Amino acid sequence: MTVLNVVLVVLAAAALGTALFALRQTRRPDPPPAEHHPAVAAASAPAEAAAVAVDQTGRANQLVGHLSAALDRIPGGVVVCDASGGVVFRNVMARRLAEARDSQVLVAAAVQDLLVEAVAGRSVQREVELFGPPSQSYLVQSVPLGDGGLVVIEDQTQDRRTDTVRRDFVANISHELKTPIGALGLLAETIRGEEDSEIVDRLASRMIAESDRASRTVDDLLELTRIEFGDDTEFSEVSVYAVVAEAESRISAAAEQAGVAVQVGVPAQLTVAGDRRQLVSAVFNLLDNAVKYSPRGSDVVVSAEVSTTGRLRLDVSDAGVGIPQRDLDRIFERFYRVDRARSRETGGTGLGLAIVRHVASNHRGEVTVASIEGSGSTFTLSLPSVSGGHSAATASTDQPTSELRMST
Amino acid sequence: MDEMRVEYHSEMEQLRADLVRLGAMVSETIGRGTAALLDRDLHAAQELIDGDDAIDDFCLDLEDRCCRILALQSPIAGELRFVLTTLRLIGELERSADLMVNVCKASRRIYDVNFDPQVRGLIQQMGVEAAFLMRSAIDAYVDSDTSLAAALDDIDDRLDNLQTDYVEAIFESHHDGNLNLQGAVQMAMIGRYYERVGDHAVNIGERVIYMVTGWLPEHTGSARQRLRDHPGDQGGGDAAPPSE
Repeated sequence: MTVLNVVLVVLAAAALGTALFALRQTRRPDPPPAEHHPAVAAASAPAEAAAVAVDQTGRANQLVGHLSAALDRIPGGVVVCDASGGVVFRNVMARRLAEARDSQVLVAAAVQDLLVEAVAGRSVQREVELFGPPSQSYLVQSVPLGDGGLVVIEDQTQDRRTDTVRRDFVANISHELKTPIGALGLLAETIRGEEDSEIVDRLASRMIAESDRASRTVDDLLELTRIEFGDDTEFSEVSVYAVVAEAESRISAAAEQAGVAVQVGVPAQLTVAGDRRQLVSAVFNLLDNAVKYSPRGSDVVVSAEVSTTGRLRLDVSDAGVGIPQRDLDRIFERFYRVDRARSRETGGTGLGLAIVRHVASNHRGEVTVASIEGSGSTFTLSLPSVSGGHSAATASTDQPTSELRMST
Repeated sequence: MDEMRVEYHSEMEQLRADLVRLGAMVSETIGRGTAALLDRDLHAAQELIDGDDAIDDFCLDLEDRCCRILALQSPIAGELRFVLTTLRLIGELERSADLMVNVCKASRRIYDVNFDPQVRGLIQQMGVEAAFLMRSAIDAYVDSDTSLAAALDDIDDRLDNLQTDYVEAIFESHHDGNLNLQGAVQMAMIGRYYERVGDHAVNIGERVIYMVTGWLPEHTGSARQRLRDHPGDQGGGDAAPPSE
């Protein structure tokens, strides 16, 4: 395989307008003697021809360098082979796939199969779905070249996920809004011809419940939108302890009713730079979620600490039903429900965890979850900009002492 | 002759790469089968059952190539052990895929059974452990990593413990009236299938140790038997683990 040949196939592989253009410019003026070895050229021609050949080889090498660097930076895999099917070039992503040992090996295997197709002059597409975890999806395509073949690999994992999220969101939001509104219409229709005061009373209270439900959804949607735009985010030094205490006091009635005890273990001196209102909303939603899915008589535990990397780590753990593996990376989506049948009895809007995620991202942090079905879940809110972990004195000034009862 | 040698070595390399591919195919079935079972996805279960034909086909092809190398190239010493080990591993992997087919078939039979959350959690964890064991076993093979291969037995204890918990959870579920006897038996079988997948991974580990050192755990027992048969003889020469 000569250098020039590599240039030609890599050039075809690139198919990037600029690279193509650049190479045409360098090649057009003179015939391609790059495959001449300098020594051969020197033996058969005058010294200046040898110099030209050396120059050509140098330029060809440089071009290969540029093109392969360019191919390494495109978000896809590129594999080029010669006419006999031998691989002459792999870009970074293709190399990574070729060296894999886990399920990505199967993508490399598909590439191997399609190189044969490409050399045979056939354009073939194959989708490779990997279960993982994490689940991934690749599109592998063969492209015949003049004397060789090209295989292009596209990672479609993110696109697939976005499509699913978008589709489910539209379906879910119409469900969440239409259900109470439809119910209201029907109830109103029934109540119109009704004279029995007892039935009217019952229907009216159902109407109140349904309108409450609709307005809760709208409230949460508005709050989510506000947080999403992050316009009124006001950063200040906030006591983590005070945030948790406020959220806890908002959930305490519901927790008591559900027979769930909320245990708080947050060091009093911890502070974080953030928007107090948003942080309270995030912690409240995590608590709300934990209490809802906890069995009667169990505990919900809130704890906070500064991690070794200097971030705040706030855990909310429950001993509830847990979350199936396949739903773990989707529960932070708006209106996503693990169990649609249960969603009405728990009475949530389906937006709580989406709010938590947006608050976390407004604070350049993240929220994650670990769960085993049947044993419970732990949600972790991780935020940067912690202070006060070491200097307790300055941090605890903005909180009333009465709240200290909750510290451990 | 030189060209033949080159071809021989690239054949061996391709064999190794394809065994990794087979390992990836089998690991995929563990995840997919577990999801099909937990999601009550009959379509996915059927897909996995049908897909087993492709695995069987690939296994036959690999076996064929091993036999051809043995017959035509007469490998010796380490290379002979490599081919023999690969031949054994194909069987272990093929059987593991069959076990996941069994899981899928069982999931069709218990379509109407409701799993308790605890049972679901344990199935999920058994699936994760089994896939992890399989991946580690393949890693040990590719890297000729005897310490990882030897550790597989200990890692498998976790899967065994999960299976014990799982059977207990099924008893509990049955006792609480959430699971009838037929369902309970099918569920218990499923636990057994996962446990067997783990055992196959441990077998792969033992074969990898054999590939590198020439020693198998069975050699210890074999030496005992020889001592019983010929009490005067002080142990067989090949019975002791080699000193590396």
